[in-house]
Amino acid sequence: MTTNRCGNQGGMADGFTRRAAIRSLAAGSLLFPGMLARLLANDSGDPLAPKAPHHRPRATRVVFMNMSGGVSHVDSFDYKPRLFADHNKSYQVPARMLEAFALNNRSTEKFFKRPQWDFKQRGQSGLWISELFPRIAEHADELCVLNSLRNDHADHFQATLGIHTGSVTFARPSIGSWISYGLGTENRNLPSFMVLAPATPYAGGQVWAADFLPGCHQGTAVAPGAEPIANIRRRQPAARLQELELGLAQSLNRRHLSQRGPDPQLAARIQSLETAFGMQMAAPEAFDLTQETAATYRQYGLQPGSAKGFAWQCLMARRLLERGVRFIELIDTGASNNWDAHGDMATHGPLARNVDQPVAALLDDLKARGLWDDTLVVWTTEFGRTPFNTAKDARGREHHAEAFSSWLAGGGVKGGFRYGETDEYGCAVVDNEVHVHDFHATILHLMGLDHERLTYRHAGRDFRLTDVAGRVIEEVLA
Amino acid sequence: MTIRDRTAGEALDAFDAEGTYANSRASSGRRNASFPRAALAARVAKFPTSVVDGGAGVASWTRAIPSSRARIALVFLCVVVAGRLASQPGRSAASDEFFEQKIRPLLVTHCLECHGSNAAKRQANLRLDSRAGWSRGGDSGPAIVPGEPQRSLLIAAVRHADSAPRMPPTGKLTAAQIADLETWIQGGASDPRSTPAEDSGGGSPMARGPLTIAEGRAFWSFRPLADPPVPPVKNGQWPRGAIDRFLLARMEAAGVAPAPDADPRTLLRRAAFDLTGLPPEPALLEQFLADPSPTALAAAIDRLLESPRYGERWGRHWLDVARYADTSGNASDYPVPQARRYRDWVIRAVQNDVPYDEFLRRQIAGDLLPAASPEERQENLIATGYLAIAKRFGGSRDGEHHLTIEDAIDNLGKAVLGATVSCARCHDHKFDPFTMRDYYAWYGIFASTRFPFPGAEADKKQADFIPLLSAEQIERLMGPHRARLATLDSEIKQREAAEAEAKKLPDGPDKNTAIAAATAALADARKRRSAAANEAPVIDDAYAVAEGKPANTRLHLRGDPKRLGDEVPRRFLEVLGGQTLPPDSAGSGRRELAQWLVDPANPLPARVFVNRVWQHHFGRGIVATPNDFGVRGQPPTHPELLDHLATAFIRDGWSLKALHRRILLSRAWQLASQFAPSAEMQANAVKDPNNTLGWRFERRRLDAESIRDTLLWVAGDLDESPPGDHPFPPRHTWGWTQHNPFVAAYETNRRSVYLMQSRLKRHPYLALFDGPDPSSSTGARAPSTTPLQALFALNDPLAHQSAGKVAARAIAAGEDEAARIDAACRSVWSRPATLEERAECAAFLAAYRQQLSSADDRQAWSALARALLASNEFIYVD
Repeated sequence: MTTNRCGNQGGMADGFTRRAAIRSLAAGSLLFPGMLARLLANDSGDPLAPKAPHHRPRATRVVFMNMSGGVSHVDSFDYKPRLFADHNKSYQVPARMLEAFALNNRSTEKFFKRPQWDFKQRGQSGLWISELFPRIAEHADELCVLNSLRNDHADHFQATLGIHTGSVTFARPSIGSWISYGLGTENRNLPSFMVLAPATPYAGGQVWAADFLPGCHQGTAVAPGAEPIANIRRRQPAARLQELELGLAQSLNRRHLSQRGPDPQLAARIQSLETAFGMQMAAPEAFDLTQETAATYRQYGLQPGSAKGFAWQCLMARRLLERGVRFIELIDTGASNNWDAHGDMATHGPLARNVDQPVAALLDDLKARGLWDDTLVVWTTEFGRTPFNTAKDARGREHHAEAFSSWLAGGGVKGGFRYGETDEYGCAVVDNEVHVHDFHATILHLMGLDHERLTYRHAGRDFRLTDVAGRVIEEVLA
Repeated sequence: MTIRDRTAGEALDAFDAEGTYANSRASSGRRNASFPRAALAARVAKFPTSVVDGGAGVASWTRAIPSSRARIALVFLCVVVAGRLASQPGRSAASDEFFEQKIRPLLVTHCLECHGSNAAKRQANLRLDSRAGWSRGGDSGPAIVPGEPQRSLLIAAVRHADSAPRMPPTGKLTAAQIADLETWIQGGASDPRSTPAEDSGGGSPMARGPLTIAEGRAFWSFRPLADPPVPPVKNGQWPRGAIDRFLLARMEAAGVAPAPDADPRTLLRRAAFDLTGLPPEPALLEQFLADPSPTALAAAIDRLLESPRYGERWGRHWLDVARYADTSGNASDYPVPQARRYRDWVIRAVQNDVPYDEFLRRQIAGDLLPAASPEERQENLIATGYLAIAKRFGGSRDGEHHLTIEDAIDNLGKAVLGATVSCARCHDHKFDPFTMRDYYAWYGIFASTRFPFPGAEADKKQADFIPLLSAEQIERLMGPHRARLATLDSEIKQREAAEAEAKKLPDGPDKNTAIAAATAALADARKRRSAAANEAPVIDDAYAVAEGKPANTRLHLRGDPKRLGDEVPRRFLEVLGGQTLPPDSAGSGRRELAQWLVDPANPLPARVFVNRVWQHHFGRGIVATPNDFGVRGQPPTHPELLDHLATAFIRDGWSLKALHRRILLSRAWQLASQFAPSAEMQANAVKDPNNTLGWRFERRRLDAESIRDTLLWVAGDLDESPPGDHPFPPRHTWGWTQHNPFVAAYETNRRSVYLMQSRLKRHPYLALFDGPDPSSSTGARAPSTTPLQALFALNDPLAHQSAGKVAARAIAAGEDEAARIDAACRSVWSRPATLEERAECAAFLAAYRQQLSSADDRQAWSALARALLASNEFIYVD
């Protein structure tokens, strides 16, 4: 896989030649060619230009699927036979696990609650996956299930920040921003980091914020609808008119630049107008699903013409991956009507149905299109849910950051593999803990980035996604 | 400090004696993994030959490291570290890595609480936080015999053998952990930890530790202010004043010559954007261009400084630093409608040139200062909004208040002192001379201060805001309201009685009718009661602080408020004098803190502030890291000039407007940003390509506010009437939760400083153009250039609206096409079109008309105006 895959895309080659023309035009008119070369070399004009990774990457793109609200690990990917057997058995909870319970609900005696979905061994690997995700389960041999994740906070807001930024308190750059900063982007006609979310998640825009990283690394949030990217739609009645208009602006800009000597920021602005012009074509084309076949619609479970549900998000993700977007985050719901099943675990059912088939379809599709080997698929959530509850026969489960499950698939990870161990009820990690920092370090590693070297100087110190911790989980690497 | 020291520090950042780290949620400080040090050692091990021969290996390894300075430094570092490793027999990178991966975390989690640096808690005189500690051993002798696990007391203890105390007392380690310890000891017990200092937060293991207090006092930023002599220059003709001499002396030394002066039109546009964030009014521009006298610029600057737009522009600069927002920042981001009073106070204070020391004093302790009038008292209360707007966390009232205090300390340190004091929350500062005790000395002051509560998920009502009315005034408002409610209450009582009476009637149709009537009347009364309750008069109040219960605080070990250490008396930073509260002090200490901060003996506030002002005028500060004047910040490019400005600033009574005049009337500020292709300028570009010597003016993009404000201004749409409240939903409807947080963006034609700014979701426009971060102090904005910004220029409704208005005004300029083109250019660029541009625009109009299907010529003119608004000349200032 070469680093530049966008040269082959229709409509983009044009953008590239235009930019190249600007570059040479600028070079021709400038006064001190030697200095210009230096200025262009230091990237100051283009913070999104592709950058060399630290080591050979196993994947070049990420789909980061984030299930909002906290998916129960013991009902999905972490099989605990004892939990079935010991339903309603009394359990003395360690005090630290009570933080997720309301203040008036902090008795240490709790009762185990049996999972609502049965588990089966799947595929050649025999991974245990429940009936909650029957279609994803068919891909067991491609999944690398992590059963020992741990987050630092048991509230949605903080835990959601944590799984995205590594910090559960302060606003920090999101993992997508870090990867954009570390690797740049292959396709300048689309943003490097895109977020497809039907609603506002916990912690809002902080989830995809670049924070102290340069603003161009911030996630571009796309809501299903007519204008997925702000101002992407041309307002002039005809493209030819806009081209005339842009032609005048750029002519004025070039004269302005030539009168002022070399200035990479002026040159970068000229370039950005060209890129924006190209984006107006490229983005609607990317978001136009009419080119997809009926078979594809069926595969993802999407109604033609609909932009609803995770099916649309997964199909869009595939199209954006094909077009060289570096990091795509899919959030299935928002800060409400999500996996936060305090009242009744049965609400996991429809939420799982929303994602199950589309995720399975995306995995198949990536394979069919030759994208599998260099795309990293991440499926995660902000925390798990308590294997126990306060009342016997309680219908719901509370927040549980102490242990939860996620999985990785695609470029560079072992398939049909399980890593990390919780105790016999899924209450606490007993072996091979994967703290959120470790999770992030591993994702960066797969992308060719060393989490200790991917730093940004801010407020007097070098910040990292992994703060001062993080361990690459070597065992999961293929 | 040498390059080598600095870089060694960088590489080992965030690493302390016990291998603990400053997690923002310290209660989870339970683990760690590969530390930079181990990684560094591993990397060194991988490239031993290239380190020695300086060959290609280093080059490829360091490619990712941007500056050549850092590259050189890293090579240095390799040699140093490799040398150090080599000097200790029995140590290898591999075993260090094993230690870092397995052993250090284990010791930190299970042993160091009782066998670490905290002498008060130490058991059996045994320390396991350094090699020296365990080899010397405790009451029972050495704990570890390298190479011999079976003879090591530590192993007996963790195995719960009879011959030793059973450790850890809280529960046996897992078999795997014990095996790790044995492997480690068997392999020689490699331990890279040197002896840590005996202090509360753990010292630093680094060769280059934090500055001691004495070293700190000698560090450039903490040294007393000097009034350095103005240096001699060779070209005595060029300078107009001291600033010019300081700059020119350095230029002459470097063989760099200043660029030519900017032309008057460029100069006034620059001055107008600098001081007001908007283009010059055409009348002012014409007047200035027509005035050949040497005082013309000074007069124009005075006019700009008097304009209310000045306060809006420069108030915003302070609001950036103070991380102003209109919402609380907690998990549901409750709006704070009263916050804008503080914003408006800042704008007024800057407009009125309140002396900077007084400006600070009021923000920190306005409620404790004497006031000459009720109005002044009110203003002083509102000023403490600076503290009140600290970020809130979580979903309840008190849950994470320690983080709010941290945010207040963080901001105060950066904003006023350029000091990252908050780094000392979990450990002594790793570079600068701030200890944990310094941090908790301040913490006590803020913990003794009552912060208003803006509402949160678990408790939706505001509390502890400060009323701005007298008790009488409140009574005058509330009295009638209470009376109204009382009337309704008594009516409800009567109606309840009537209903009860009706129920006592004998059964029958009359009874049913009577009950129905009485019930309906009661329901109606209750409805009116609740409606009336929602109409409670709003008592003007402020998001401001008050005195709380004064008390010292105890150290939070590793920043964890649940793990308390010694009590720390409230006092000032030791490196800046360490002044303590007077013995009879009965307050929080805020008044004293404000006084200590602005004490003339404290050199930092003036240095930090004049640097900010310089930065806004020149595009870059004399210190390039305006919020960090510490070891890790950038040193000043012109230290004498910085001190000259700071002393002059204090001598001028801390007057910001005087400082503006001083800077803007220098010749240096009036240089051209473009340079002719003369040999001299070309040589400059080679000698000082980054213009650190200030030989030309630094061209820059308008900031987010100026772009939007100017788009409104050119359209004639800018609303400059006094700002009011944001249209937040009425308070009785507030029910935001983390599942459904407050999110809004309100449209307005006012200047952008008045846009509602929420913390959870940044204003999309401001985020697009690199606006301030409303959650943390923005010392300098980093302008980016992105296609999404370009899409704004091409397609945003605001750009199209403004272009339409510019076009309409151009058309109104007359029948002559050239005159119209000229008018459009004057609106957008503050200058007429050149002949060349006129011809080009005319050709564009002709081509555009040809493509248009409609006969509406306004479309062609709008397109022309859009092209002008998309031009670099519009959004860059020369």
